[in-house]
Amino acid sequence: MDRFKIVQFYALLRREVLEHRNLFIGAPAVVALLILVATFWVAMQIDETQLAEGLSYISVLFDGLSPFDMAPFFMLLAIPFMLTLYISSVIYLINTLFQDRKEMSILFWQSMPVSNLQTVLSKVFTIVIVAPIFYVLNIFAMYLIGMILLTILGVSNDVDLVGIGWMFLAAIASLVLIYFSALVTSLWLLPSIGWLLLFSAFAKKTPLLWAGGVFILVGFFEDFIFGTQYLADWVQSRAANPNQYLIFEFQSLLERIFNYETLFGIVVGSILITGAVYMRRFTD
Amino acid sequence: MSNIVEARSLRKNYGNFTALDGVDLTIPSGAISGLIGPNGAGKTTTLKALIGLCDVDGELSVTGRDPRKARHKLMEDVCFIADVGILPKWLKVSQLIDYVEAVHPRFDRKKAEKFLSTTDIPSNKRIKELSKGMVTQLHLALVMSIEVQLLVLDEPTLGLDIIYRKEFYDRLLNDYYDGNRTIIISTHQVEEIETLLSHLLFINKGKIVLDTLMSELSQVYTEVLVDADKMAEADACGPIHVRELLGKKSYTFESVLKERLEVLGELQTPSVADLFVAKLKEDRHG
Repeated sequence: MDRFKIVQFYALLRREVLEHRNLFIGAPAVVALLILVATFWVAMQIDETQLAEGLSYISVLFDGLSPFDMAPFFMLLAIPFMLTLYISSVIYLINTLFQDRKEMSILFWQSMPVSNLQTVLSKVFTIVIVAPIFYVLNIFAMYLIGMILLTILGVSNDVDLVGIGWMFLAAIASLVLIYFSALVTSLWLLPSIGWLLLFSAFAKKTPLLWAGGVFILVGFFEDFIFGTQYLADWVQSRAANPNQYLIFEFQSLLERIFNYETLFGIVVGSILITGAVYMRRFTD
Repeated sequence: MSNIVEARSLRKNYGNFTALDGVDLTIPSGAISGLIGPNGAGKTTTLKALIGLCDVDGELSVTGRDPRKARHKLMEDVCFIADVGILPKWLKVSQLIDYVEAVHPRFDRKKAEKFLSTTDIPSNKRIKELSKGMVTQLHLALVMSIEVQLLVLDEPTLGLDIIYRKEFYDRLLNDYYDGNRTIIISTHQVEEIETLLSHLLFINKGKIVLDTLMSELSQVYTEVLVDADKMAEADACGPIHVRELLGKKSYTFESVLKERLEVLGELQTPSVADLFVAKLKEDRHG
């Protein structure tokens, strides 16, 4: 790939982030703020002596432990962010190829020497690779602010801060796990990403209704004609597999990606994404 | 002179509505070509087909490429401005320039900034905060800074006041057109572009009803203001259109020898607007 193509693709990703900054930057920032405010409010309800004792206890607990071993503990804090990311992703995917057709700015985007394949791939890349980076950065900012508050509290109550430092390292290590969790989940859910993009590119109105409605219809006809429910069972088995949504240890990363079910999903997702590229070809 | 656009038998249906009904057209390189037609005639569909935004049947070649096969490659040589509302409203002016600079290999940022410095467009404003006229100025500044062979303009000044419209065409002619580039303009405001054009296309009901160089217009079409006593003689010459004018009748003729017409009254070349009306009425009545 030549340098110009890389610059072009970077510009496409930048466009996505700028257009959807509320979903990728604003939404996790609000979640981080809510968690910080809630934590601060709870801390205000506790007696300062008890708070200092609790802080000492945590400091001792984390002192000398491997940040990578303790990282999974912080994964629980990531759950609200992951949920927000998934909701934001659905909103993004169902609108991203629909909105510019609706407001006619597609005529401008299509007047540039950028192929539909590049455009659609930039959207997939945004949701799989780029959006989780912004969520992780928000979580990092939240940890940093929390750590500064804990440090101030610790210093004012003569608490040994070494353990708190270890805790911060564990929190940082958890960011890597959170990022890979989001990445693996995106690959696991690639058929859903392809499906939403397909109807975002196809529908002239209410793309979410099309995406949901056609899925229900296909399932209904399968049941009606063949008497089977393979589609519904397959989707349910994938949606209800919590192992694919959070990674608690680094060792399991590769086996989460390179397994038959994930790879099959990637193939199905790629076919649907190809359909979205085809749908994008013409504006009429 | 070679042709930058060649189309044969272009057809396009939207359900039961036939938007293009066998459009044949050729546009010479270096021409400023006007595509004129009433609402629903197929102007926008034709222009969208030329840049690969509309799937049509038939043979089509633009700058030697088939737009249906590699639109993104074609757009390195072609620029397009549609109705003023198409720039993404959420982008800031500076972000838009950054984007075009990054994705278009033939964009000259300095040129764009120079054009913009002569306007009141602030670079830190979002496009939704700009007036219609400013959005058009911005879009024109962008395309004028891209080195392309063909510029396609679909109703580019729609909804603009007379000052912006005049400035738009002045800039296009003085700062952009160099005799080598080709410009295709579709508009309702025929009078405003008449003096710019070197090639003329009329489209009606999805068909090209006139395809001529402006330089040949006077050789083919003649308008005569005929006195009452010579009307029977004028009628015998087979006018394509007749209209009442200050108690006289103005006759428009196509391919009738000037020697035959000179006796009827003073000859002149019809304006594009008058010819447009004449050809459309001829088309309507057969």
